[in-house]
Amino acid sequence: MDDLNKETHTAIAHYLTALADDELVLAHRDSEWTGHAPILEEDIAFSNIAQDEMGHALLWYNQLSGLTGLDPDRLVFFREASEFRNVQMVELPKGDWAFTILRQYLFDAYELVQLKWLERSPLPILADPAAKIRREEIYHFRHTGAWTQRLGMGTGESNRRMQRALDELWPFAGQLFSRNESTWPLVIAGTIPDPVDQWSEWQTLVVPFLTGSGLKLPGEINSIAAERTHHTDHLSDLLLDLQEVARSDPEASW
Amino acid sequence: MSETNQPETGNLQEFEARIKRGEKVEPGDWMPDTYRQQLIRMISQHAHSEIVGMLPEGAWITRAPTLQRKLVLIAKVQDEAGHGQYLYHAAETLGISRETMLDALLSGQAKYASVFNYPTLSWADIGVIGWLVDGAAIKNQTMLAQCSYGPYSRAMVRISAEEGFHMKQGKEMVIRYAQGTSKQKAQVQDAINRWWWPTLMMFGLPDAVSKHSDTLKRWGIKTRSNDTLRQEFVNEMVADLNTLGLSIPDPDLRYDQEMENWIHGPIDWDEFWRVVNGAGPCNAERLATRRKAHEEGQWVREAVAAYAHKHPPGSHDD
Amino acid sequence: MTDSQWPRFEVFLQDREGHSHRNVGTVHASDSELALQNARDVFVRRPSCQSLWVVPATAIYALTKQEIRENAGLSADDSEQQPKNADLDVKSYLVFQKRNQRRTMSYVEYVGRVDAATPGQAMAGAITAFDDPSSTVWWVCPASVVARSTVDDVESMFTPATEKAYRMPQHYRIIQQMLEAKSRLLGKADIEQDA
Repeated sequence: MDDLNKETHTAIAHYLTALADDELVLAHRDSEWTGHAPILEEDIAFSNIAQDEMGHALLWYNQLSGLTGLDPDRLVFFREASEFRNVQMVELPKGDWAFTILRQYLFDAYELVQLKWLERSPLPILADPAAKIRREEIYHFRHTGAWTQRLGMGTGESNRRMQRALDELWPFAGQLFSRNESTWPLVIAGTIPDPVDQWSEWQTLVVPFLTGSGLKLPGEINSIAAERTHHTDHLSDLLLDLQEVARSDPEASW
Repeated sequence: MSETNQPETGNLQEFEARIKRGEKVEPGDWMPDTYRQQLIRMISQHAHSEIVGMLPEGAWITRAPTLQRKLVLIAKVQDEAGHGQYLYHAAETLGISRETMLDALLSGQAKYASVFNYPTLSWADIGVIGWLVDGAAIKNQTMLAQCSYGPYSRAMVRISAEEGFHMKQGKEMVIRYAQGTSKQKAQVQDAINRWWWPTLMMFGLPDAVSKHSDTLKRWGIKTRSNDTLRQEFVNEMVADLNTLGLSIPDPDLRYDQEMENWIHGPIDWDEFWRVVNGAGPCNAERLATRRKAHEEGQWVREAVAAYAHKHPPGSHDD
Repeated sequence: MTDSQWPRFEVFLQDREGHSHRNVGTVHASDSELALQNARDVFVRRPSCQSLWVVPATAIYALTKQEIRENAGLSADDSEQQPKNADLDVKSYLVFQKRNQRRTMSYVEYVGRVDAATPGQAMAGAITAFDDPSSTVWWVCPASVVARSTVDDVESMFTPATEKAYRMPQHYRIIQQMLEAKSRLLGKADIEQDA
């Protein structure tokens, strides 16, 4: 890592930050369901997913820390919204159960496609955690896939709610697969996947499944065009909650 | 299933002899109706306590001040859901359905441990609950693991194995905060002041007042007295709290040299009854939260059931 | 469709290769795929697990030693207390038993199979074939209703639990921390006394 030029160093730092921030913010939204899930078994199951995602965030922040020396907790609890690199899809409020399940499903599919590639990246800082994370994502995908099917084809009401969730979420999916100026050199160097290739692989995975689950996809994939540092108001609300205790006593050790 | 269809040729003497021999009573075995009803009440209350107990701590998951504390708290609250699950199962083996038990909880009829009717006012409360409340629960659980009813005993053995880290993670927090910033020290002392007495009340009424004790003992349901467990707990806690420079909100607390016991002051049993009967600071809020989750989950449960109905086992789909 | 907590599935867990599956409790689920997943989330939070089986609770015929003794005239055709899924072809039934009074967190364990045409016949066959005098509870269920995890599932379903060290009590060093706190606070007290 010592022989990296500045541009590459920054690119890797940005990429790791994006990976970690996505997991952190999604884990936060997932953990809001603990104690409120539709049935006891799912409270237990979804808390497992939240824990896994939080663990993934920690893994990526640790990799980032190895590269930059920045402390993970300082990054999580003392950055402002504009410094976060998560996609907007994960910061959206948890909504109803259909929204949460579908968002998790779409994101799990994205992670699987991405991790499959990253496991083979020539950069150990990216490849090393990927295998462990992928094991857990395989199970998440199985879980949210089963739920997507059951809610998509359950009752008229569940299908309506899932359709509404899909209509809301689909425009945000594109941001997961946008090429990014600062990390583009890594694509050229063959150390991270080209997001555009990942997009078609992801669509091959999710489109038939969603259609098979009784859902209709929007005709035109009309995605928001935004840099990962551009956020909705939801992120600053989320951070007010997330950072409240840590910021109340910044010198404290917890 | 055979547990509700048993012939009435049961023999009370044989039943009590089995228990005395240390044999477990299993679903399907003859049992006195009082034994069954006592256990249904005890186990379902215990289950409700775990579920309601998720709420005071769950409220702080999103605000946990380090990634590690977040992970640990999610795991702890998840465990509580799991423990509720094992306990509902144990009650189900006695012939009551989970639907019935949940109805009783959500309608306000069923009781649950009143310690969970108090609010968590700061992050420090999370440490104190882990050390004190889970510490007290462990004493009870260890005793109940020897219960004569198989399913309850097994649930308690599993719960006891998992509960270990609950107390330790809380104690670790209090140890750290008692030596931390002045704000942290003040917060943790304030939390101790608020949780000390509700924790002591968890051990139940004084032996002199507690009814059912003899029968519960003979039937292997409750083998140690409330006061004994409470005394053990106080002895364990006082020394450690003093070491950390934390005070206990009991001006009458004194050490009995002869018996080597820390004797605590009088417990406010009026408050205990007020809170148990619904007038605690958070009773209404706890039930309202549970009711909301249950109602909002109805369309989900129905959808999943409808899918299963349309795709019976053996039909060719995924 | 009326609101319910879904039907119950009994869960059997095999902790290691070569050990028998043991009953650890139940999960509520609508179908066997969700039951298998719920079983994993409810019962495999701590290591270790190699395999899970789930069976609809209604497909299990259970008898205790006491029930067998009292229904001394238990005939293989006694259909009143049996699951209603009997058909007349001979099929394979799994047999589970409780064999000791040790304090434990699991109940009956898998001991083998019998062939039978009805649950009653299967139970009668099980009592004869698996007649260990220490047995106190017998369960039988048709092999066809058992849903199982596969070898390919181990990596994604069971391995992750082994990597969550923070759930284990030995991860916490409170004895050490109390000792350190004691010396720190006592040390301070000594200094204050001398001052």
